[in-house]
Amino acid sequence: MTRDRLAGIAWAVGALVALAFAVVPLLWMVLTSVKTNREITQDTSLIPQALTTANYVSLFSGREFAAYLTNSIIVTFVSVAIALILGTQAAYVLARFRLRGGMQRYVGSSLLMVRLLPPIVIIIPIFLVAQGFGLLNTRLSLIVVYAAFNVTIVVWMMESFFREIPVDLEEAAMVDGDTRFTAFRRIVLPLAAPGLVATGIFAAITTYNEFLFALVLTSTPAAETMPIGAATLIGRINVDWGAMSAAGVVGALPIVIFSIFVQKHLVRGLTMGAVK
Amino acid sequence: MTPSVVGRTLRGSGLDRVLPYLMLGPTLFLVLGVIVYPLIDGLRSSTGFFRFGRLVRDVGLDNYRQAFADPAFLEALLTTARFVFLAVTIETILGLGLALLVARERRFIRRIRATLILPMIVTPVVVGIVFRLIYASDVGLLASMAHAVGLDPPQILSSGTGAFLGLVFLDVWEWTPLLFLILLAGIQSMPVEPFEAARVDGAGAWRTFVDHTLPLLRPTILVAVTLRAIEALTTFDQVYVLTRGGPGTSTQLISIYGYQTFFQFQQVGYAAAMLFMVALVVLVAAGLSVGLMRRRAA
Repeated sequence: MTRDRLAGIAWAVGALVALAFAVVPLLWMVLTSVKTNREITQDTSLIPQALTTANYVSLFSGREFAAYLTNSIIVTFVSVAIALILGTQAAYVLARFRLRGGMQRYVGSSLLMVRLLPPIVIIIPIFLVAQGFGLLNTRLSLIVVYAAFNVTIVVWMMESFFREIPVDLEEAAMVDGDTRFTAFRRIVLPLAAPGLVATGIFAAITTYNEFLFALVLTSTPAAETMPIGAATLIGRINVDWGAMSAAGVVGALPIVIFSIFVQKHLVRGLTMGAVK
Repeated sequence: MTPSVVGRTLRGSGLDRVLPYLMLGPTLFLVLGVIVYPLIDGLRSSTGFFRFGRLVRDVGLDNYRQAFADPAFLEALLTTARFVFLAVTIETILGLGLALLVARERRFIRRIRATLILPMIVTPVVVGIVFRLIYASDVGLLASMAHAVGLDPPQILSSGTGAFLGLVFLDVWEWTPLLFLILLAGIQSMPVEPFEAARVDGAGAWRTFVDHTLPLLRPTILVAVTLRAIEALTTFDQVYVLTRGGPGTSTQLISIYGYQTFFQFQQVGYAAAMLFMVALVVLVAAGLSVGLMRRRAA
């Protein structure tokens, strides 16, 4: 009895501390972003005394945040879509077919190795190649690079989903006159839909948040994405804390809102993206 | 065994025989062209000497030799190793503790989990901003709190040790949720029988943990730690925003040093050589964890 109550208290305290640990730093950024500059620098108050939207207004009037947001959405959406379309087909092949020389095993493992390869180790060659093709500072270069990295994620996550779907279903469809490909499209894909959603969410979050490639491959608001917009702001005006915190809020908001919308599938996407 | 229906149901249909290659082709083409080709290209440039971004002459393995005679490179390696070890250890312990704490409270987990994982969803660059706003010695959260209770504001980003530990704390904040999620999934998929048997035997909580939970969870912990360590090894965005490697070289991780060698000092060949050595470490670690995951999946 007392032991149970003790455990209950320990649980509640632990959960509360963990929640505060996760939320307070973010909350502080939001609070700073609605304070006046005077209050930030001179009063050092914890809770804002007078709310202001000045920091946000300056972000959208004098700077290019609308362009950053547009670029981020286009680049994320297109590259994830390409990766899903190509990657599910590849994953299906790896899950279902025996290729010449047992190739499907090596291909699967190799793609997984590529997925674990950190971007920094190939950033230099990719920069040089993009420069050679005249693709620097275009959304296209980002789309191509992100699609390639995303497709490795998609193959890795979807292969196991396809394995769990019984082969009999496709065979039955093929007996009824479907071709292999239409059986895949009509029968297998709808069954794998939850996996597709989880995969797409994981890929979208990773892509929206990506910084290094965008930093190296883009240089103007014609192609720069949200994380770059937030980071360059810091470089230019080191002391404008209000604008900096507002940029942080605006930079993170799209992906946080997206996460709230897809909450139901989010946890599975994140866990699977990490370990399968 | 891979299920194969090719021979059985598709013999004779010409299109269906090439179908797998048609479906696999675009993905392979994309990955080979965008990742593997540049990788090989970079390996080539790692043996070259460049001036103003142009290859001047081939220097063989000199760039690799140079790295081991470069104190800045060795120091960056050491800083990175310390960072990864400290951050991943703390994240694993906290993540495991939290996962054990809430594992049985399924209803509550569902409610608070979405909030708990916020840190790993927020854009890493923004995480850098968040922690600048916490550490700043004049306007930061810590300074304001110290001010409120009449203490001197702590100087975190201006001292080497402070900035390094500040970076470790940032990483712990951002990535403990990932370890938590993975380990929670591991705990919840453990078989119940050993635990019931332990309860019948009257084993205490600690004995049960050591005898049953840890051994059953070990593969999951191993995979999670390897994956997290691989990513921590090349942490870049947060450092770029928080300290740019400073003060001095106290937070100069290998990724930051490699980046600066290339973009500021224009030493293309040398930077490529350094990063390839990092890649080698990562690939060995990745190979190990892929092996682990395959074995677990089998």
